[in-house]
Amino acid sequence: MSSVIEESKNGAESAVLALHKQFLDADQPSADLLPFNKKALDIFESLKFPHRKHEMYTFVNTKVLADTSFSLKTENSVQNSFVKQHIYAGCERSHLTFVDGALCPELSDATALGTSVKIGSLIEAVKDESFKNILQKSIEQENDVFASINSAFMKQGVMVKVSRDKQVEVPLQILNVSSGGDSGPVMTVPRAYIHLEPSSELKLIVKYVGDGSNYFVNSVQDMVIEDNATLTHIQIEADSKDAWNFSKNRIFLKRDSKYLGYQTVSGTRLVRNHNEVWLNESGAEMELNGVSVLEEDEQSHQFVRVHHEVENCTSHQYFKNIINDRARASFDGTVVVNKGAQLTNSDQLINNLMLSDEGHADCKPNLMIFADDVKCAHGATVGQLDDDQLFYLKTRGLSESVAKEILTQSFARSIVQKIPFEPVVKELDETLLKKLVANNE
Amino acid sequence: METKENSVADAIDNDYKYGFTTNVESDTFAKGLDEGVVRAISKKKGEPDFMLNFRLKAYEKWLTMKEPAWPNVQYPKIDFQNISYYSAPKPKKKLASLDEVDPEVLNTFEKLGIPLEEQKKLANVAVDAVFDSVSVATTHKKKLMEVGIIFCSFSDAVKDYPELIEEYLGTVVPIGDNYYAALNSAVFTDGSFVYIPPDTISPMELSTYFRINTEETGQFERTLIICAENSYVSYLEGCTAPQFDTNQLHAAVVELVTLDNAEIKYSTVQNWYAGDPETGKGGIYNFVTKRGKCQGEKSKISWTQVETGSAITWKYPSCILQGDGSVGEFYSVALTNGYMQADTGTKMMHIGKNTRSSIISKGISADHSSNSYRGLVRVGKNATDARNYTQCDSMLVGDQSSAHTFPYIETGNSSLQIEHEASTSKISEEQLFYFEQRGISRENAIATIINGFCKDVFKQLPMEFAVEAQKLLTLKLENSVG
Repeated sequence: MSSVIEESKNGAESAVLALHKQFLDADQPSADLLPFNKKALDIFESLKFPHRKHEMYTFVNTKVLADTSFSLKTENSVQNSFVKQHIYAGCERSHLTFVDGALCPELSDATALGTSVKIGSLIEAVKDESFKNILQKSIEQENDVFASINSAFMKQGVMVKVSRDKQVEVPLQILNVSSGGDSGPVMTVPRAYIHLEPSSELKLIVKYVGDGSNYFVNSVQDMVIEDNATLTHIQIEADSKDAWNFSKNRIFLKRDSKYLGYQTVSGTRLVRNHNEVWLNESGAEMELNGVSVLEEDEQSHQFVRVHHEVENCTSHQYFKNIINDRARASFDGTVVVNKGAQLTNSDQLINNLMLSDEGHADCKPNLMIFADDVKCAHGATVGQLDDDQLFYLKTRGLSESVAKEILTQSFARSIVQKIPFEPVVKELDETLLKKLVANNE
Repeated sequence: METKENSVADAIDNDYKYGFTTNVESDTFAKGLDEGVVRAISKKKGEPDFMLNFRLKAYEKWLTMKEPAWPNVQYPKIDFQNISYYSAPKPKKKLASLDEVDPEVLNTFEKLGIPLEEQKKLANVAVDAVFDSVSVATTHKKKLMEVGIIFCSFSDAVKDYPELIEEYLGTVVPIGDNYYAALNSAVFTDGSFVYIPPDTISPMELSTYFRINTEETGQFERTLIICAENSYVSYLEGCTAPQFDTNQLHAAVVELVTLDNAEIKYSTVQNWYAGDPETGKGGIYNFVTKRGKCQGEKSKISWTQVETGSAITWKYPSCILQGDGSVGEFYSVALTNGYMQADTGTKMMHIGKNTRSSIISKGISADHSSNSYRGLVRVGKNATDARNYTQCDSMLVGDQSSAHTFPYIETGNSSLQIEHEASTSKISEEQLFYFEQRGISRENAIATIINGFCKDVFKQLPMEFAVEAQKLLTLKLENSVG
């Protein structure tokens, strides 16, 4: 019995190895990135696909995903009109469109950004010693097997660099379109490197959409925020129903810098966001918000690691999940306060709202503290709508379904309304929150 | 400033007061473990066949298992062949009264502040003293027998009530549950057995004092408590151990079963030798499996523990809330200092409808120690209207210590209500200043703050234990400033 499992496991990994061979032959990756591709494949081989009891994947069943053999998408085509409808107001002249992980110049327009933002490919970026070091380190120390697959297959990617002292007024949108696999499941590996030089500011909106089905988006974003810089990062996941979406955000914060993250998941077959934040210098701040609205068999999994490396840093995490039907949501977050990271202020709050008996909500809010003068708190709740609140609304003449709608929507809206970009909030009202209307009718 | 910080750390330091050994001629097996040893233990204890089979099955299972690597603790690999699996004071003729007990043994208890005679007369507490692995004296047995309560050593229970043992042994902690439980099931030597008949409230609190004695003897205790319909018992367990340099393994298993409307309150004060506070050398490895099953409707199991000793603690007193409307509780204070490591917490498995559980955990870590809370709250699909409240607070003393929280929440239905809260704090200079300003010494101030921090747990302890727990913490705190 065990030998059968062993075999299928090796099968899953050897499929990736075979695909990589094909990638090296057919796709001709750039000579600058090739050593990284190869190193990442070695790391993949040592990490292997997670087994059922893997601590990082306690709540996520990746068996079906690992057992699916994906091909790489080479021909990219997508309707111009489809792209247009997903570009936010205000980003008409500041967006980059990636189709199946490759930058599509004819569907992109970054003229509004001017000279303060430098946009290029990773092949260009890797010529810079500091990025090379970051890339090397992150690949060698990779702990997430899916991110190592991304590194093994990364090609051009994108680099966004904001110059010193520049506060970019226009928001930059990165749109990741997946055209899907017509003849079988495909995998795409978007990769971005965002670098904010000292005292700069950028608002970045990353959106994932699908114009087809049967695909796996496996993205990695490395973000370096230098002294006194601020990055606002809004990530909207709105893929096709049967898509897989795994993303890893690696965020490095320097002195007095700030990261504000907002992640929304509207539900697909399987979404997993892996956020790893390093507060590396004093005064760094980070806030991460997340909201998922799930129904049917949708799954959303959040995995967060926050490393307080030095003193005087703050981190906040707020996550809310609404779970209906047979959906599953999980949160696995750890705040590590390292030796010497005194005066750390950290909190973590996870609220789950269960609307059905078949749904699942799992939480694991961990704290690891190695310093004594710190303020750390975490809280997690799982519950349903408050009967008293429902009753109150009903006494005001509202029907049960309307009352439920108001309560569930306001539960999610508390996160949605924090998003500091109006067009996204408006859109989520129409998409994410609409799901709750339909649910209760 | 520096001296002040040190003094807070010093406050938690204290050398092990109960570090002494008693010389009793031991009847000890040679080191090592194989099937022959398992058979020999069973034979030595004159056990019936079902016990031997139980042990052999567990031994077979153990051979196939691996030592768990997930706890947040570090220690050198244990050589299970370097442990002697049986040690007993030389068998003597049956003792009718305490006078016949080895005076040296009694002396040991006296040093610990538990004079048996006095207890028998004054404290109204029945004591089943486990000296090493075999019960030396059991008191108050008669009084308990009058109301039909069985309170005896596990070996006696196997002889006198085999049908009860056969029915319940291994039903809460199956032989293959985990590595150490399997080992315990194979080689356990003695322990306690309690049976409370239906409609009976135990007239007194039952208590056992454990004491590890012979050097390099792993102690494998087995406790089984069964509370039949509408009955109640409060069980007290306290431990101290002599100071040794070689690590000692303690892998106990405790099983509790409550039937309809029954309630068990299980309290522990643990103060085993924690190793040299300077080097971290020596000390007890405390790998314990404690679990209770609320089998009947509206039954209740309540765990209270005060953990202040052991080099490594690895312990998760858990509740399986199977009966509808059953209640599980867990109150814990874990204090670590020196190089101690503790990974402790609980598991609440909600299976029945309308089940409730609450978890209050307080961790204090000082010096170079590491203190982890690891808890699981799992609500099954059919456990409708389940309710859980969890609070775990940590207090750090000194910047070399660490505190960790690993709560797992797994839920599978919509009518539940789960809350989890955790916070971390330190004894602040402002608090100490306030006390000192009022003329209260720094030492007393720290003791008061810590007692206040743990109050929620202490008030759950039975009277005698609450006093002892307070004493223990204060003991750890004395030798501090001034």
